Amino acid sequence: MIWVSWRQFRPQAIVAAAALAVIAVLLAATGPGIVSSYRSAGLATCHVNCGASASNFINGVGGLDQALFNATIVIGYLAPALIGIFYGAPLIAREFEAGTYRIAWNQSVTRARWTAIKLGLVGLVGVAAAGLLSLMVSWWANPIDQAAGLGGSASLQRLDPLVFNARGVAPLGYAAFAFAAGVTAGVLLRRTLPAMAITLVVFAAVQFAMPTLVRPHLLPPAHTTAPLNAQSAGISITGNPGSPPVIRVTGNFSKPGAWVLSDATITPSGAALTKPPAACLGPGQNAGPQSSAGGPGQCISALVDMHLRQYVAYQPASRFWPLQGIETGIYLILATGLGVVCGWQVRRKRP
Amino acid sequence: MLWLAWRQFRSQAVVAGAALAAAAIALALTGVHLAALYRDSGLATCTTACGQPTAAFTYDVRSSGGQAIFYAGVVVLYLIPALAGIFWGAPLITREFESGTLSLAWNQSVPRTRWAVVKLGFVGLAALAASGLLSLMLTLWSRPIYAAAAKANNPSLPFGRISPLYFGAGGIVPAGYAVFAFALGVSVGVLVRRTIPAMALTLAVFAAVQVLMPMLIRPHLAPPVRTTYALAAVSFSATGDSNGRLILAAAELPGQRGGWILSQRPVDTRGHVVTQAPQACNAQPAAFLQCLSGRGIRLSITYQPASRYWEFQWIETGIFLVLATGLGGLCYLRVRRPS
Repeated sequence: MIWVSWRQFRPQAIVAAAALAVIAVLLAATGPGIVSSYRSAGLATCHVNCGASASNFINGVGGLDQALFNATIVIGYLAPALIGIFYGAPLIAREFEAGTYRIAWNQSVTRARWTAIKLGLVGLVGVAAAGLLSLMVSWWANPIDQAAGLGGSASLQRLDPLVFNARGVAPLGYAAFAFAAGVTAGVLLRRTLPAMAITLVVFAAVQFAMPTLVRPHLLPPAHTTAPLNAQSAGISITGNPGSPPVIRVTGNFSKPGAWVLSDATITPSGAALTKPPAACLGPGQNAGPQSSAGGPGQCISALVDMHLRQYVAYQPASRFWPLQGIETGIYLILATGLGVVCGWQVRRKRP
Repeated sequence: MLWLAWRQFRSQAVVAGAALAAAAIALALTGVHLAALYRDSGLATCTTACGQPTAAFTYDVRSSGGQAIFYAGVVVLYLIPALAGIFWGAPLITREFESGTLSLAWNQSVPRTRWAVVKLGFVGLAALAASGLLSLMLTLWSRPIYAAAAKANNPSLPFGRISPLYFGAGGIVPAGYAVFAFALGVSVGVLVRRTIPAMALTLAVFAAVQVLMPMLIRPHLAPPVRTTYALAAVSFSATGDSNGRLILAAAELPGQRGGWILSQRPVDTRGHVVTQAPQACNAQPAAFLQCLSGRGIRLSITYQPASRYWEFQWIETGIFLVLATGLGGLCYLRVRRPS
């Protein structure tokens, strides 16, 4: 049975191995260069106030390295989807479509075993390919991730949803889930092409919902509330003739590598800042700060006198591995559930 | 024949129509809000020193989810042509091969060449329309974002429509990509004659074309402009490394926004490329740039100006349409004389 599964799966496995080999060569050729410029930027031995040199290092990553960095993120999103579409959906649906399931089910191997071995073997290869890819990419991008974690970038830290999906162990979970979703869609629909399309749609929806709706709450977020004073507050006032000025007060929250979930400016009573103080409003409530009574300086000091506080909810950088572990677990449980549904459906079907 | 083509394509067309309608509703609702943010931020009336209104607008766009929608739209616009190639193109004739319905289809009163032309034309036009419509919607929707990016430099905003990431996700090229990907899918299917390998191969070839186009071909669609700037005029994103290797990387073109920088290198007074920073300058990191300037070192930037956006859009769309026509001709020949 294992031999049949392997023979049926051989071309797909070869394609995946070839793709992984190409990526491995590219990453191995460029990786040492990034490590050496990380060292020469002095980041390997830097412990305090590394933000500026980390930022310089990240800005200096250009050309092929930058293209590869973006490409690895895209591949990190695509690989599990491709595993679901091309490994998962046709696995059993093709046998239904071609009618070969009749031969397969009339052999000495029971259907349950047939399903279990097919699912297990191809699923394991898919998960292994995704794991290998993630391992290579995580190794290659490690200097960039470290520099971002030192405060070198506001958007490339490992916890940022864009980067999170292409690092660590989470891709294993995505691959397992996408594969199981593909097989399930194929078993339920019994037609390959619609199953492939549905797999893509479902997987894309889950990948979108996870970082926006679920991941922020996997662990209770950390909070800080800091008073805003003239030094820490960045106050920007803009206005159009004919409408009240728009005032934004932003604090200087800086925890390198943290994933900021919400950042709000609140008044002492705990409410959000909605109404600008009178000093910021010119005659007739419709002028910008340029024409307000005492000029922008008075507006800013009036804002500071309101004793505003900055409230930030975030996931600290140290939660990268716990979040990865929990998310991988969720996807693996979902994949197992879908696998059980497949087995049950296959057993139920009358040949 | 037209009726048959429609009946076979109906379910795919319904799915695409529903997806387009959903996108249209979402973009219309959020687009009104985005335009209001642009107006309220004061960018509409701002002509000089727009840094602060741009920062305010960026903050609002980010916190209201506009940025996520924008990037999702960019990703979807790159995906749609690939999907048209995989799910519409590759199975179009291959599925008939595989299931044996081809002999039935080819033994009707309609000649096979006409059968092929109608099928290709009908679904190809649908791919063109779907991709073109979505591109039109996203182009209209994202006008405030590009307008803000053109007024002041802000790292959270796209650098300009002509830069590689955004060029393929706006204007008219997505329609060209979709027709090309579709024709590619059909051709690969006709040659390979098995649906799933044809789908995988279509994806691989199309992805390779999408990567190679901005890297190798698009920079040379028109001769790039080379200008040499004094260092004082340039705002840098990176300067020099500690090994003495001279790296000067400008974040944007001085004096004009949104150009596509192809290469930049420091040159001396005679126009020769400088690779090593002078020792004397390495010794004074605080006045590094002033020291370089004092020795006559300037920055030579090769770029494509933002004003060539529409010219490039037309040329690239034309290239892809010609390629698609060629592939269509290949399919036609293959169907007329099957081996």
